[in-house]
Amino acid sequence: MGGGSASATTTGERRFVPSETLRFRPFATMVFPSIEFAVFFPPVLALNWLLMSRPRLHKPFILFCSYVFYAAANPKFCLLLGGVTLGNQAAATLIDRSDSARRRKAIVTAAVVLNLLTLGVFKYYGFFAQDVNDLLDSFGLGLPIPLVTIALPIGLSFFVFQAISYTVDVYRGLCERAKTIDVALYLSFFPHLVAGPIVRAREFLPQLASPRDPAQVAIGTGVFLVGLGLVKKVVIADFLARHVVDPTFAVPEAYGAPDMWLAIYCYAAQIYCDFSGYTDIAIGLALLTGYVFPRNFHSPYRASSFRDFWRRWHMTLSRYLRDFLYIPLGGNRKGKWGTARNLMITMLLGGLWHGAAWGFVLWGGLHGLYLGAERILRDRVKAPPTWVGWLIVLNLVVLAWIPFRAPDLNIAGAFLGRLVHPGALTLLNPGVVIALLLVFGLQLIPERPIEALRMRFENLSPAALGLGLATCIAVVGATVPGQAVPPFIYFQF
Amino acid sequence: MRHRPKDLLICCGLAVLLLTFAEGRSVRHSGNEMSAGWERTLVLAVGNPAGWLADRLPLADAASALSKALKPGEDLSGGGAGSFANAGSRTATAGGVPPVTPDAFDPRALGQKPPSPRPLKTVLVTGDSMSQPLDAEVARSLTPKGIKVFRDAHIGTGISDTSLVDWGKLSLLQVKKDRPDAVVMFMGANEGFPMKVAAGEVKCCTAAWAAEYAYRARRMMDTYRRGGVARVFWLLLPAPRSKARQDIARVVNAALYTAASPYRAQVRILDMGAIFTPGGHYRDAMSVGGREQIVRQADGVHLNGTGSRLAADRVVAALRGDFTGP
Repeated sequence: MGGGSASATTTGERRFVPSETLRFRPFATMVFPSIEFAVFFPPVLALNWLLMSRPRLHKPFILFCSYVFYAAANPKFCLLLGGVTLGNQAAATLIDRSDSARRRKAIVTAAVVLNLLTLGVFKYYGFFAQDVNDLLDSFGLGLPIPLVTIALPIGLSFFVFQAISYTVDVYRGLCERAKTIDVALYLSFFPHLVAGPIVRAREFLPQLASPRDPAQVAIGTGVFLVGLGLVKKVVIADFLARHVVDPTFAVPEAYGAPDMWLAIYCYAAQIYCDFSGYTDIAIGLALLTGYVFPRNFHSPYRASSFRDFWRRWHMTLSRYLRDFLYIPLGGNRKGKWGTARNLMITMLLGGLWHGAAWGFVLWGGLHGLYLGAERILRDRVKAPPTWVGWLIVLNLVVLAWIPFRAPDLNIAGAFLGRLVHPGALTLLNPGVVIALLLVFGLQLIPERPIEALRMRFENLSPAALGLGLATCIAVVGATVPGQAVPPFIYFQF
Repeated sequence: MRHRPKDLLICCGLAVLLLTFAEGRSVRHSGNEMSAGWERTLVLAVGNPAGWLADRLPLADAASALSKALKPGEDLSGGGAGSFANAGSRTATAGGVPPVTPDAFDPRALGQKPPSPRPLKTVLVTGDSMSQPLDAEVARSLTPKGIKVFRDAHIGTGISDTSLVDWGKLSLLQVKKDRPDAVVMFMGANEGFPMKVAAGEVKCCTAAWAAEYAYRARRMMDTYRRGGVARVFWLLLPAPRSKARQDIARVVNAALYTAASPYRAQVRILDMGAIFTPGGHYRDAMSVGGREQIVRQADGVHLNGTGSRLAADRVVAALRGDFTGP
């Protein structure tokens, strides 16, 4: 960042104000729905394909672009991203070169611990320091841990998890040690850098081994996903947040039960559209650049069991937790109660992964409880009809979003209390009804219409796709209120 | 059907071309709004020629009409009624000395009995990101008492930067819409921008910049006090962590003190620095209710939930000085 404004005061003192200090941008980054990204992406895309056949130029170019993208948030964070990359590559190299199983295990353990320590320091220090201090204080032990706040680098949880995936997969022999530039590209590739999806090393690194086939570019699907993601995020999620979710979660005391029930369904729709919208754009951009990311959502509010829900919601995190936490804990091999315990531990830590707050832990705990209870009751109680299961799962999932969204547990408690407080329905309007029908309705109908629409895009001519994309961006841009698009919810995780 | 890279270039090239014709002015405008740096240079490198093209083609007008039809809310950027751009004479005086009115004195400062507190019915909590979650905390405190609290935060805006929101214009609209009995204002996370004045441009953090800032804040205070009917509670900035931001915060606070001087009868200045950063020394944590607690966000600028609750307590206590009900 350069520039700034310098001037002489009347006393002759020269003051200098760095330009980056002027505008405060929470979770600042080059978000996809922004002018900065619209200027950044087209030349990157064009050069990406021009250089594709020359890996010696192509890879450094994409790596450079990804770091530029990340530096828009804070250039200092690039050092951390680079450090995590080099640290894990060093561990993978040592694992690769070692013949001793014990030594390999020690190296992978140290690497995982260091990765988690990095995550812990940046993400959880303040949270734990406060609570540990309070605990010590309640026992009269004056062992104060310094209470300081540490800025959370954007996307840390995502790239640290992917780094662990690389090192562990090399240790397990599931993927070979890659070149350093490939590992750097895997961790920093801009479409998934800040909020996923969590791509496994063995899924992405083979795609870097050889140039992408230019005859296999799925332009239609890429454009379709980018457009769909923009509509989900800017038109639906932000609309619901502005009109219903933000006011009710900020001051639950101002609303009665009808508004509060409306608000939790709206939040369920908002977080789905916000996160799956981001993912759609990320997958679409990756496709346009020639790379394939795994699917991250599959109509989650259609699930008729909690197990089914977690196979449809944030699928890349679910399988990550399954492979790196649940199965190593013993998975379902420890009997019913042991399985329930493993599910609870997995979901509690999965909740904590989202952020350093008790609300996330409670949300994870609720899902652990749901999954454990479902597992225990499965053989004892006759399974309800599918539609009853769907109704139960949907409503319990929606209720669990309350501690996830509420700023703290006190407000979550106040919110729950208002769910039975008489009052009028003041926040419902035609826009909200349409948004809810779109979000929940489209998940309930068979997928064929959406798939058919995507296929139609795939068959459109390049000119029609360009016209469609431009129209979509213009219309979506026109619905953005005076200020910029709010950051994606998952940027803070 | 799978396409070839050439098709991709046709598709994206056409989209970029159409958007350039339709939205070129927006790209140029956004670039002009951004603070100096490589991002601004990049956006303006595209925005200037795109804007030039858009000015000469009718597509931009069609896009503008579409935007007006779909965009929620009013255009709050500079220009129009109440805008700081319509500054008028900043030196209108009689005989070179501005008149002093009784509004300049808080009756308590003169040893007189203040007017009897009247019932508080409506409060507007507004500002930039500093006003969040203070606004929610104030609302949670007052709403159960039957007081209507309007919350109107405008993230990323500042008094010294009118490109996103012109606070001169916005304050007029807020008062017209809600007619609040009291206005709680907390902003300053995005200040330090050069400001246009009659003689050109003033840069932070000179006395000339402070004077212009005070002038703009005074206009807002005058709008919010509604001719003496309403009360304004303006929160000063606690010291931020970074030295550069501290320099700006110091000048903003000094300007606000000066801005409020003609309206001491109606405008209360609440010093958050005294609570959170006594002596101007930044701290992340402080003793709250006998426990050491973090009160700032990790950015070193904003108050966190605990800090905002403390600030809200101070605001509610100040409201009790002028109103019954809180």
